[in-house]
Amino acid sequence: MEKLKYDLVVVGGGLSGLMTAHEVANAGYRVAVISKVFPTRSHSACAEGGIAAYMEGNSDPSDSPDFMVYDTVKGGDYLVDQDAAEVLSYKSGEIVKLLESWGALFNRQPDGRVALRYFGGQTYPRTRFVGDKTGMALLHTTYERVSGLNADFYSEWFTLDLLVSDRRVSGVVAMDMKSMNPVTFVSKAVVLATGGNGMLYQHTTNSYINTGDGYAMALRAGAALKDPEFVQFHPTALYPSDILISEAARGEGGILRNNKGERFMTKYAPNKLDLAPRDVVSRAILTEVAQGRGFEGGYVHLDLTHLGEKYIKERLSLAVEAGKAFAGVDPVKEPLPVRPAQHYYMGGIDVNITGANPDLPGLFSAGEAACVSVHGANRLGSNSLLETLVFGRETGQAIVKFLKEANEPSAPEGAEKALDEAYSYTKRESGVHFGEIMKDLRKTMWDDVGVFRDEERLKRAVSKITDLRKNAVGMYVTDRSTTYNTEFFNALELRNMLDQALVIASTALNRTESRGAHYRLDYPKRDDKQWLKHTLAYLRGNTVEIGYKPVKITRWMPEERVY
Amino acid sequence: MSQEIGREIKVRIKRFSREKGSWWQEYPVKVDKYTQMTEVLKRIKEEQDPTLAYRASCHMSVCGSCGMKINGAPKLACRTIALDEVSRTGSNTIEVEPMDGYEVLKDLVVDLDDFYERMYKVTPRLKPSQEVLEGKAQHRLTPEDQSRLWKFAQCIWCGLCVSACPAVKTDEQFLGPAAHAKGYRFLSDPRDTISNERAKVLIDSAWRCTYCYMCYEVCPRDIEPVEAIKLTRTFTDKFGPTGEASKLGERHSKAVEESIAESGMLQGGKVYLKTYGLVNSLISMMELMKDGKATKLIMEKQKKVKGLDELKKLLGERQ
Repeated sequence: MEKLKYDLVVVGGGLSGLMTAHEVANAGYRVAVISKVFPTRSHSACAEGGIAAYMEGNSDPSDSPDFMVYDTVKGGDYLVDQDAAEVLSYKSGEIVKLLESWGALFNRQPDGRVALRYFGGQTYPRTRFVGDKTGMALLHTTYERVSGLNADFYSEWFTLDLLVSDRRVSGVVAMDMKSMNPVTFVSKAVVLATGGNGMLYQHTTNSYINTGDGYAMALRAGAALKDPEFVQFHPTALYPSDILISEAARGEGGILRNNKGERFMTKYAPNKLDLAPRDVVSRAILTEVAQGRGFEGGYVHLDLTHLGEKYIKERLSLAVEAGKAFAGVDPVKEPLPVRPAQHYYMGGIDVNITGANPDLPGLFSAGEAACVSVHGANRLGSNSLLETLVFGRETGQAIVKFLKEANEPSAPEGAEKALDEAYSYTKRESGVHFGEIMKDLRKTMWDDVGVFRDEERLKRAVSKITDLRKNAVGMYVTDRSTTYNTEFFNALELRNMLDQALVIASTALNRTESRGAHYRLDYPKRDDKQWLKHTLAYLRGNTVEIGYKPVKITRWMPEERVY
Repeated sequence: MSQEIGREIKVRIKRFSREKGSWWQEYPVKVDKYTQMTEVLKRIKEEQDPTLAYRASCHMSVCGSCGMKINGAPKLACRTIALDEVSRTGSNTIEVEPMDGYEVLKDLVVDLDDFYERMYKVTPRLKPSQEVLEGKAQHRLTPEDQSRLWKFAQCIWCGLCVSACPAVKTDEQFLGPAAHAKGYRFLSDPRDTISNERAKVLIDSAWRCTYCYMCYEVCPRDIEPVEAIKLTRTFTDKFGPTGEASKLGERHSKAVEESIAESGMLQGGKVYLKTYGLVNSLISMMELMKDGKATKLIMEKQKKVKGLDELKKLLGERQ
């Protein structure tokens, strides 16, 4: 197998991977960015509403970075590491300034400064935005910047597995999708910036590419996932296509109504109303539907009509576009049909605030792939774009320090083995196709590891996923083409999805309390005495090994979470 | 709003693999009035034929992955609702092919390297001042400039416009619509510091566009690349022509202006002569005579329009 040598391999070309690559390439190290899609097709592009930032001299006069930490900690139902939230908040202003200096076209105030608006869970408005295509704008700006640096891009290359030697990371094995040619990348450090895993769920706002490959690669290499049971469901996905209607719609004044026309959030969050955090609103919508106050098909209305055509079109153009194109509804004239769908993964590869994984020296992670614990049990809107950039940069800077000290890794092991395992799917003459298993998995996760959970459903899910994993060992790839064989890659993605699904269902069963997005009908209360701690989960063969880690509390003691 | 009951349509896909060559294959698919073509392809791949290859990611028209030809027209599959195509064409069969203008790798997947190369040629990144980069100064940008630039900055690199553009196919020196939209977005950004370099790359190419408006038609983000090209041409005065096409274009513009100032009319013969020069005009004239089309040009009356003084006043005000 061909070998390529780098100081750093970044897996993933979205915002966090690009930001990490930027820092390390700028310091003069040899960087490879491997992505299974061309970087601007990454899921970062789908972030709509904005990026939260406290900007000195350009924020609400009563606001402060500490309020932002507090909002983040409370929003995350106190499972947030407060030192991480402090980094996120205190560096938010400079990261927006940096992106602006690179050319990002943030919406402006009349005096030319960056504009701001309200988002869910914020004490004061601090979301900065580019219409409702903020992620797309920032992703393009960052890619434009980084593609001008001395970093090698391997676009449409699929990473199969991490390589480990002498108990440290020594590279990855990846394949050019065009030629199906496998290559061993030998490197001193690897960043998994592979994004989230929405495709695990039947209903998701995520891109088709979000199969959580990084989580599975980390698990197989012996690293832990932190807080894997925490999955966010966004309350307002367009019915029935599950396209995201940004929280900005409610930030700008949109109102949720049931089939009686009632503003039902008055019952569930009397103060914050429609702008309560996402877990609260998602449960409220599904409760309304379950109690017969939804519309046929299982949705409620998101009403923007009172905001006026000009305002809606200027600030929520994507909502107009999506409503018209994908639901046949013009939100200027009638309410949008919405329902909850999987949206974000709070759990992720266990890393500290420098993005380093404690299990495997040389392994780093950033963005949605990582769990730095800034989101805790529930992420606030407009904190994900912020996390990708702030911690992408922190991770990059930590890697520069790491590389100064790191020796060359010894010859990586396991590349041939990883490849043989992958090829085994193509060597059979019969078996089950990836599509059949995928459908079952996505339904199981939605029905039994979704918004409302309980012991019975979670046990059923664990046993079902275990069966599907066994089944998938005999998976069969029919396509033998040696150019852009997507069936082969879909099979590898499914294997990745099954590995993490088992971990998610098992840890959800294990946590016998309700906190943020993890809501147990059989344990509806938060239980700080037992459960104010992070879950750490390892996958050993077919067994999920669960451990714990304390939550870092600096200044904000847990209190009841009411909105 | 109630969900329409599913109905079965046929999807005919132009398949290709290096091993097997090219063939058409038909699949029956059940859809409702919301089903996007990306979802149609996904169902075919997951339920009927896993060997089908296509690109798709965001399914909300922001990632630009799923460009292809649907019933002959270059489109994003995610932005195309299956039953809308059925009612548009009146046929229950939807034909899907890879985009034109790029090498096909497999089925609906084409090689976009040529497209990306075009984008990189225009230095697709802001070059701000050193002070700003070092954090010593901050940009301000008016809301008007923001929205003017954002229009052209929304390109998602899908490649549809280049696929539909006839000029890129015949003129190697034409950068193509997407690169021009991107180039103009930075050329006209008040925060940028290298407009001289940008002009050198953009201006001559801008005069190579034929204004056919295909890019305007097919762009899924309504960027109107041809508008960026027109606006780039207006920079010719400031930076000067940078090659054959822009010199010719510049002469043509001046000739048109002079013709109107002189007579209030577009005097085709004179404009031609001034644009192409005596020798080339004579050659063209001979060709026209051969085709019997020269009479009209020779007979062109040099009549002046009424109210020419008013017109001259207006032209004077413009300058």
